[in-house]
Amino acid sequence: MKLSVLILLLLIAQSCATYYQTTYTFNQEFENGDLPKALSSLQAHSSEANGKRQFLYFVNNGLVLSMLGRYEESNAYFEKAYLFGEDYRINYLNEAASYLTNPNFTSYKGEDHEHLLLLYYKALNYLKMDKTDEALVECRRLNIRLQQLSDRYSSDTKYRHDAFINVLMGIIYEKDKEYNDAFIAYKNAYQIYTNDYHQLFNLSEPDQLKDDILRTAYLSGLTDELESFKSQFNRQDYVYQPDDATLVFFWQNGLSPVKAEWGVNFVISRQGNLLTFSNSELGFSFPFTIEHYDEKERNALTNLRVFRVVFPKYLERPTYYGDAYLKTESGKLPLQLLEDVNQIAFKALEERMVLEFSKALIRLALKKATEYEVRKEDKALGSVLGIINAMTEKADTRNWQTLPHSIHYARVPLKEGENVVTLCLKDSHGQVSEHPFRYVAKKDQVLFHTYSSLESGYPNYGNY
Amino acid sequence: MKYLSLILAFTLLSCARSVTRIQPTQAIDLSGRWNDSDSRQVADTMIHQLLSSDKFKEYAKSLGKKPAIIVGLVLNKTSEHIDAENYIKKLELAIYNSNIAEVVESDKFRDKLREERAQQQDFANPTTVAKWGEEVGANVMLFGEMTSETDVYQKRRVVNYIITLFLTDMQTNKRVWYGQQEIKKFIKN
Repeated sequence: MKLSVLILLLLIAQSCATYYQTTYTFNQEFENGDLPKALSSLQAHSSEANGKRQFLYFVNNGLVLSMLGRYEESNAYFEKAYLFGEDYRINYLNEAASYLTNPNFTSYKGEDHEHLLLLYYKALNYLKMDKTDEALVECRRLNIRLQQLSDRYSSDTKYRHDAFINVLMGIIYEKDKEYNDAFIAYKNAYQIYTNDYHQLFNLSEPDQLKDDILRTAYLSGLTDELESFKSQFNRQDYVYQPDDATLVFFWQNGLSPVKAEWGVNFVISRQGNLLTFSNSELGFSFPFTIEHYDEKERNALTNLRVFRVVFPKYLERPTYYGDAYLKTESGKLPLQLLEDVNQIAFKALEERMVLEFSKALIRLALKKATEYEVRKEDKALGSVLGIINAMTEKADTRNWQTLPHSIHYARVPLKEGENVVTLCLKDSHGQVSEHPFRYVAKKDQVLFHTYSSLESGYPNYGNY
Repeated sequence: MKYLSLILAFTLLSCARSVTRIQPTQAIDLSGRWNDSDSRQVADTMIHQLLSSDKFKEYAKSLGKKPAIIVGLVLNKTSEHIDAENYIKKLELAIYNSNIAEVVESDKFRDKLREERAQQQDFANPTTVAKWGEEVGANVMLFGEMTSETDVYQKRRVVNYIITLFLTDMQTNKRVWYGQQEIKKFIKN
């Protein structure tokens, strides 16, 4: 009896835990920057490679291995994650089971931006290994993913274009001296910043991008376009200046948001065959038709009065560092914001919220209706089912939580030979910490460097 | 129970992925963007326009030999990433097979040849070594431009692509041939 109570308690505890909490050890080690330990903790659960969280297992391995400089191994995991996204098909049996239990019964398929960002890491790994042709393959994959994204939604108020990915494509094409394609990618990125990103995320184009456009227009021989952009950017005095070599520096600041649960109480009212779930406080009202249910089930659904449903929500992990710049022999270069991963994550969930609500409501309504029917036949069995239903009610709190909060970049001109570039990170109190790096550049070489600041301004992890 | 039928219905829906091989010439438009059918259409038009061009024939006659063509640059001024190689290679093959001109190696592969030739000087049997200074100089270079104009209103989009190819004499900078193809698409979402 004691054992069964213990098992029940364990089950309840397990059912309440969010994804962050179930991977707590790994998260702590990762956030503390103890990457070898984090990798061991992650790989200790290798069975996840075949489970419902396999996408997250692959991308977390890929990201940690990339940070450890083990690029080939990292890309092997990112490739698995990419193929998972390509081959993903809904398992309808699990989908049906999720309606009777909770959405964690389905495989986590990954958010749109997560599928794009895994290719960012993969392409960068290749660039760091100086494998430009392989990086170009990722670039073409990114182009297809971007097209799929833009075709999925028709509304301009949705996240359907990604400016950062276009900048990345430009950088890869430019590395391959495909200046024309680089120009197209930069130009497309500029349009997305000025149209979509400005409106959706209040994010403007980085100044660096204007230089990128002017430079690649010149190098492609697109003279009309060069003149047009010079006047558009008010840079009539622009003259292309070749550099000995270039450093492309990415600063990945902070950590992306994590998902938690939140519960909403709904009042149910019926008018004919229309069942309405409403919450006057939040101003939610979801009508469902129940005409395709038989009379018995309709009555069972109607007998519901009030119930509580849990949904996923994002919790931001605010950045510790507010700003950063690079110090070189010739002066300071700002690291400008390219992608606000945090805002994109919030936006993606917000866009899906109506669907999430509908799925959760109908799921719970079905569970409650069954419970009501069973309770009528057998009170004890009905109560047991009630407990099981309560235990299995859980929101899907899975997401890729090792991603950065935001991504910044700068293009640094280098001289042939040795160069010292210092990364200066400014925290919220204005304190600056300096990290010097030494680069030895050959003529015309393009070097890539990624620096991740894992510090986060919100240490109350237990609440996730 | 309704649930069982629901589960059964979902299970039946989860059938296997299907793949069908189709003729490469079969036109299938999915997104409305540039695709293989467009590349094929451009290649077919350009091949026809070049092989039947009186101007080009006149040029070859004035040269007194088959002109040697080198592929130069095709500028892409559209906002899509279109690989011009998809139709340029078809055009090259048609020129090669038609015997109206010679095709000489373009810069990307030419550098590899020169590298190999340099290696041969040190390591190959002297009787088999490829000589320096025997490359055929091109008489004309193939250039091109892809442009597009897009008109969008609500969920409708009209895109007009204009693809222009031209051959320019290496010595005089005179254009000796033009080929042009327009592709206009109306896309409704």
